[in-house]
Amino acid sequence: MIKVLKSYSGLAVFSVLLVAFFSFKSEHFFSAGTLISLLNQIPALTVIAVGMTFVLIIAGIDLSVGSVLALAGSVIGVAIVDWGWSLAAAVGLALLVGALCGTVNGAITVKWAIPSFIVTLGMLEIARGGAYLVTGSSTKYIGNSVEGVATPIGVLGLSPAFVIAVLVVVFGQLVLSKTIWGRYALAIGAGESVVVYSGINPRTVKIGVFAMSGMLSGLGALFYASRLGSADPNAGIGLELQAIAAVVIGGTSLMGGRGSVVRSFIGVLIIAILETGLAQIGASEPTKRLITGFVIVIAVVADVYRVRLAAKGEKKLEIRS
Amino acid sequence: MAGFMQRVMPLAMLLILMPACGPSNEGAVTGQADSKKPEVALIMKSLANEFFSTMAQGAKKHQSEHSDQYDLIVNGIKNETDLGQQVALIEQMVAKKVSAIVIAPADSKAVVPALKRAEKAGVVVINIDNQLDAEVLKKAGVTIPFVGPDNRKGARLVGDALVARLEKGDQVAIIEGVQTAFNAQQRKLGFEDALGKGGMKIVSSQSAQWEMEKANRIAAAMISENTALKALLCANDSMALGAVAAVKAAGKSGKILVVGFDNISAIQSMIKDGRVLATADQHGGQLAVYGIEEALGRLSAGKNGAGNRETPVDLITADSLK
Repeated sequence: MIKVLKSYSGLAVFSVLLVAFFSFKSEHFFSAGTLISLLNQIPALTVIAVGMTFVLIIAGIDLSVGSVLALAGSVIGVAIVDWGWSLAAAVGLALLVGALCGTVNGAITVKWAIPSFIVTLGMLEIARGGAYLVTGSSTKYIGNSVEGVATPIGVLGLSPAFVIAVLVVVFGQLVLSKTIWGRYALAIGAGESVVVYSGINPRTVKIGVFAMSGMLSGLGALFYASRLGSADPNAGIGLELQAIAAVVIGGTSLMGGRGSVVRSFIGVLIIAILETGLAQIGASEPTKRLITGFVIVIAVVADVYRVRLAAKGEKKLEIRS
Repeated sequence: MAGFMQRVMPLAMLLILMPACGPSNEGAVTGQADSKKPEVALIMKSLANEFFSTMAQGAKKHQSEHSDQYDLIVNGIKNETDLGQQVALIEQMVAKKVSAIVIAPADSKAVVPALKRAEKAGVVVINIDNQLDAEVLKKAGVTIPFVGPDNRKGARLVGDALVARLEKGDQVAIIEGVQTAFNAQQRKLGFEDALGKGGMKIVSSQSAQWEMEKANRIAAAMISENTALKALLCANDSMALGAVAAVKAAGKSGKILVVGFDNISAIQSMIKDGRVLATADQHGGQLAVYGIEEALGRLSAGKNGAGNRETPVDLITADSLK
């Protein structure tokens, strides 16, 4: 338990420093209102980062998440507005569409042994094209039927979307560290040939990981649409880079074999704190970009040192961080 | 090698110089129009943006009604800011020897050299939507007429409608478009004109890059930071949709007024029920048509060059939608 806490402490200290900085610079950053509005903004990025963590762990990458989110969101919009479907049915279809995109990504990557970078780059274009096609390139206003998911409830003022996203994080972490499937994913990333020699077929695990990433993009689409009350075919442009940044800030290796879902979540929080904080102090556009870039690089460099220290202290190779 | 160059160079020179022979070439264009219909190339920004797809649809409809008068090719670029692709499109259209190019520039400065080459090649060039930078045009020594609305005036109309609902000294914030775009700058100036005249206090002004989700986050931050905020002025309707969601999430519906620009379909129900106070309609569906009409007029008259034309922009409120 102590070891687990220790592995989160570096990032936690970093986020506290960020919060302290913005609280000092801005009048109302350190308030319950800001915190709640920040937390209610991150569900989509959170669930997508969970999927991306698994993809990076198997030494893959998924560039299509933003476009798949837009496509799934467009499907929700069209299903509710044009076809008169219920929210549940529309969401079911959106999850299916997302999972399908992910499965295609995974299957092609595995079948022809093509780098997932290029396969998902293709899907980035295909799903975006699909989103424009489905909506006729115009924003669909959905309204009340979808907004409930993002509407704050209870004393804390947190939205159902945020609660679901946190559950996905917990579930994802349990799958990664407590199930055989999660172990296989880590092993594939650490050395796929070893997995093959052990008599395990890595293909189904890999396809499963991409399918999960796609489906979580579909879930992200629901959160996105519910927060904005609309389906926007331009949604999620550049989201893949945000998700990758969050996951890497969280210490998951781009080379595969090492990663943590909970730490990815902290990565998401750091990005959200930065965005909200910079907007709240009214920073100019160039300043925002510069600072965000620097923070990503600094966080990752700091993480390299943390890993080195941990390795020195324990004098053994850590698969799981 | 030298022999090859000697043989090829004059030919290449001829090819380069030929289109530059000004008057004779313009004659050729009109001559061509006599024998067959002129071909107009409409070069848009992103057709994935509702505003531009509406514009393109308007142009296609106009062409189908006037198919005896001209042919139309419509092209868009993938991202709003993909300059390289738009310049390549201009060059392709010139190579295709179209009679006229009607363009919504992705950047008000960087496409000028390509358009200058097009004009030199005898193509009639009309600028719509995003006005080319006057300084750069002057430096390049080229005159390209602008046919379109005055964005600053439109934003001022929207701003005035908002100011009428506020008290002097009220706190307001602006959500800007892409700061390098001329129309974004004009809309911001128009908002500021109205706010300044009404004595409002602008507490924050930030860009959300025309995007709904980004506007939602920035609006949420502005609302958290400025507890006395009374209004959000958004430089387009997509961002206004994001701002409305932020106002609702903060539990300030009705307390913070939102205005937009463009009058897209998704905004109209919000204007009717008051979640958005006002927007500006610059008749997007007609913008390309105005440009095409101007191009056809110039082709038949055989003249190129100066002469801007202002097209209408109207204020849209709950009253005007009734």
